[in-house]
Amino acid sequence: MFVVIRDLLRHNGDFLAGIVLTGFVVAMALLSFVSPYHPLDQFVAPLDVPPSAGHWFGTTSRGQDLFWLLAYSIRNTLAFGILVAIISRVLSLSIGLLAGYRGGWTDRILMSINDTFIVIPLFPILVLFYFVMRDNMSWVLLAVLTAFLGWSYDARLIRSVALSLRNREFTQTAVFAGMNTREILAREHLPFVLPIVFSTTLNNMNWSIGLEVTLAVLGFTDINRPSVGGLIYWANQHSAVVAGIWWWIAFPVGLVVMLFIGLYLLAVSMNEYIDPRSRLDRMGGQGR
Amino acid sequence: MSAVPNTARLTTGRDTGPVVSARDLRAWYRLSMFGVVREVKAVDGVSFEIRSDEIYGLAGESSSGKSTLVKTIAGAIRPPLEIVGGEIAFNFMAGTDGLHRASGEVAGQVRWRHLSYVMQGSMSVLNPVRRVRASFADFAFRHMGLDRAGFEAAVVSHLARVNLEASVLDAYPHELSGGMRQRVTIALATICRPNFVIADEPTTALDVVVQKEVLGMFRGIQREMGSSVLFVTHDMGVHAHLTDRLGIMYAGRLVEEARTRDLFARPRHPYTRHLIESLPRIGDDKLRRGLEGSPPSLADPPDGCRFHPRCSFATERCRREVPAMTPVGLDHRVACFERDRVEASQ
Amino acid sequence: MRVYARYFVNRFLQFLLVVFIGVNLAYLITHATPIDPIEHTVSVATAFGHTAPEAVAAMRESLRELYGLTGTPFEQYVNFWRRVLVADFGPSLSAFPTPVSTLIGRATPWTVGLLGVATVLTWCIGNLLGGLAGYYRRNRLLKAFGIFAMALHPMPYYIAAILLLIVFGFVWPIFPITGGSQMNLAQGWTVDFALSVARHSVLPLLSLVLVGLGGWFVGMRSLVSNIVTEDYVVYAELAGVSRRRILTSYIMRNAVAPQVTGLAISLGHVFSGALITERVFGYPGIGSLLVDGVNAGDYSLVLGVTTVSILGVSIAVFVIDLLYPLIDPRVTVS
Repeated sequence: MFVVIRDLLRHNGDFLAGIVLTGFVVAMALLSFVSPYHPLDQFVAPLDVPPSAGHWFGTTSRGQDLFWLLAYSIRNTLAFGILVAIISRVLSLSIGLLAGYRGGWTDRILMSINDTFIVIPLFPILVLFYFVMRDNMSWVLLAVLTAFLGWSYDARLIRSVALSLRNREFTQTAVFAGMNTREILAREHLPFVLPIVFSTTLNNMNWSIGLEVTLAVLGFTDINRPSVGGLIYWANQHSAVVAGIWWWIAFPVGLVVMLFIGLYLLAVSMNEYIDPRSRLDRMGGQGR
Repeated sequence: MSAVPNTARLTTGRDTGPVVSARDLRAWYRLSMFGVVREVKAVDGVSFEIRSDEIYGLAGESSSGKSTLVKTIAGAIRPPLEIVGGEIAFNFMAGTDGLHRASGEVAGQVRWRHLSYVMQGSMSVLNPVRRVRASFADFAFRHMGLDRAGFEAAVVSHLARVNLEASVLDAYPHELSGGMRQRVTIALATICRPNFVIADEPTTALDVVVQKEVLGMFRGIQREMGSSVLFVTHDMGVHAHLTDRLGIMYAGRLVEEARTRDLFARPRHPYTRHLIESLPRIGDDKLRRGLEGSPPSLADPPDGCRFHPRCSFATERCRREVPAMTPVGLDHRVACFERDRVEASQ
Repeated sequence: MRVYARYFVNRFLQFLLVVFIGVNLAYLITHATPIDPIEHTVSVATAFGHTAPEAVAAMRESLRELYGLTGTPFEQYVNFWRRVLVADFGPSLSAFPTPVSTLIGRATPWTVGLLGVATVLTWCIGNLLGGLAGYYRRNRLLKAFGIFAMALHPMPYYIAAILLLIVFGFVWPIFPITGGSQMNLAQGWTVDFALSVARHSVLPLLSLVLVGLGGWFVGMRSLVSNIVTEDYVVYAELAGVSRRRILTSYIMRNAVAPQVTGLAISLGHVFSGALITERVFGYPGIGSLLVDGVNAGDYSLVLGVTTVSILGVSIAVFVIDLLYPLIDPRVTVS
């Protein structure tokens, strides 16, 4: 594992760039733990100060220091992405492995359901959910729902790997050794699937964070909980761009874009590592 | 009876020396991995000729370099494969030096018209999303000098030679059986009456009955067209049945070459002998001994004769010097210092 | 023909499943949550001034009927399905008494037009350039384009849209940044109106295309660079088939099939993106309708838009599924 990371860092520019970008964003989130401000405090700083030595990212029209507020916001946004990733991993792993291992009707039924969730447009459903919940909406609730709607794509990938594992000899050996389905999946198949789980997790986080930012920007989440989307929502409410308070929009957008590109690059380079065909391609041979 | 007009046959093509000749051909894979260059000497100094109107067989184990040799002759050079040295000449391409150095235009005129190819893994050589008719049009139409209707008629009558009906033209490859697909590719490769056909393990994936049928047809078409054929397979049984002359490859080099009948009757190279002896014979209940050891790595081949680590006749000289191909009879060449001992021990 | 019939039935069952699960999801969200939409609406309506208790009770009753919340849960469920199937979601609360179906009908052409053009453009450009990039691996221009598309690809639609809005709205205002056409222009089949629609659609289109390109580009590039080594491509090269023919009929033709499947898979996601983009640019489609509905507390409108979206996307996916055998003849076998 350690060697893999070292090799990737040394030979793969995408991976290095991804680490740097994601690392910066995570460091920013960690800084929130030493913030001098409470995230919900308003009018504790002068209004509309441009970026300066005293306030690195400037201040908002609501009297907040943007740097520290952004640190809290990105922490909450990351927490959302991680929570969705964890819940949806459990779902996509168990469904993907089960469908791939069992095959036959189990596979057909599970994949039909899976394809359904791939096709259904999620945004209107999440909006409907917000509409019904209104003030009772919390980020945990939203994360759970997002995870329940967002496991399907990865489950399909995991299933295709599990399908190829099913016919391998060690699976047969495990069956003859009397292991039950759960044991075989957890002990024999899980290790093979983990690499893709890793890269799909990153893509999944990108997707769910994008969704959360979008919902928050429209005001369709708990707007009082600091989040990157929420920041942009309040900036829009105060017409920040028109009023020339560009930093209120620019820094949150910039930071979240760094996160998106960083996670994406990590996922891409990880994929390249997993798929030997593209690795060979990188070395210049066509692999024939 | 031929519906295919035999117009543009080059005059130099018939009975005037070899159709193909290769001299000291060397083709290596050069892989550069994180700055370290790795060379695999898959074809390392091979010389041979293919005469007009003959089937020349090429035999050897799966990593002996036969497929690379075929690629090199066919001009299918793609990195990391490189031609490091040697020459290839075709009598239908007078004055040029092999397909791999020909311009795109010249190669386009020669390919399929004079040199065609029946490929290894023939299950997957036809475009899966196009009908068989489209493959014929793509491959052969430009060479035939016919209008659409004439071309169609020519294709249909040619398909009849391999016992296929005109309806296969409307089929997709996946709708045909393995044997039918292989017959389609044979028809495809021979429709332009090429001077030279390369057949690379064309029947390996077929079951034995179909294999025999396909080989019979192949032989028939070759006789009718008078094409020269390079026929590559590891299956010595097929060679005995089909080829006129036979070359044996081991670890990137040609080790013996003779008329097929002579080679089977009096092999002079210990490796050839092993290949022939491993063929099953009815009534022979002698326990066959396998060859000890495994084929050498072509990235780091042994010095001297490359077969010496596995050879029971090997001497000190075999470890140091590379034996050259030496004539030992009519059309018979062998690269072995101990050839007389090998022959005497039969 | 029989195999095609089986394929058709299979895809149709999948289509029914999508509609079934989607509509049930909408039902579940609106009916199984502890929040009562009626009470919410009533509290909004009675927030100002004093309302007689009888009037509140009457209002509650009529809303209940309006929303189909009368009777046993089973009756409600059946009623819900009946409304979905005849596309009758009652009158809109915010644009009373216009029926929700009329509002949606008015907005749909805008969304379908924007989404349709954007999807076709994105898919064609992305696959064409990606295919070329996979075939001509050393082309600098295509490599540079790849980096550009990859950087935009992970962006959510909202962020891309707002970046374009800022650039073309404030920094370099050359395109209209809001609306579907010029305000005072009569809608109709006139050149002026068409031009106005085209100009207004530039920025929404651009943001949808920019975000979407990268996925197709990268996917097609890796598909093509794998297909290049397939036996049938090598064989055609050995046969001296022209490079252009090989690129189109052999390589691209085979790579397109998985990309069509990809289109069906991504349609829901792209649709969500279009809704968001519409909102940013004030485009008068379904997305704007949805957000306005939420902000106005218009229950029937939000529910109507959601179910129509699910129906629309699943129909589109079904149509793509039906066309797929034309592209890949092998599909009817397995």
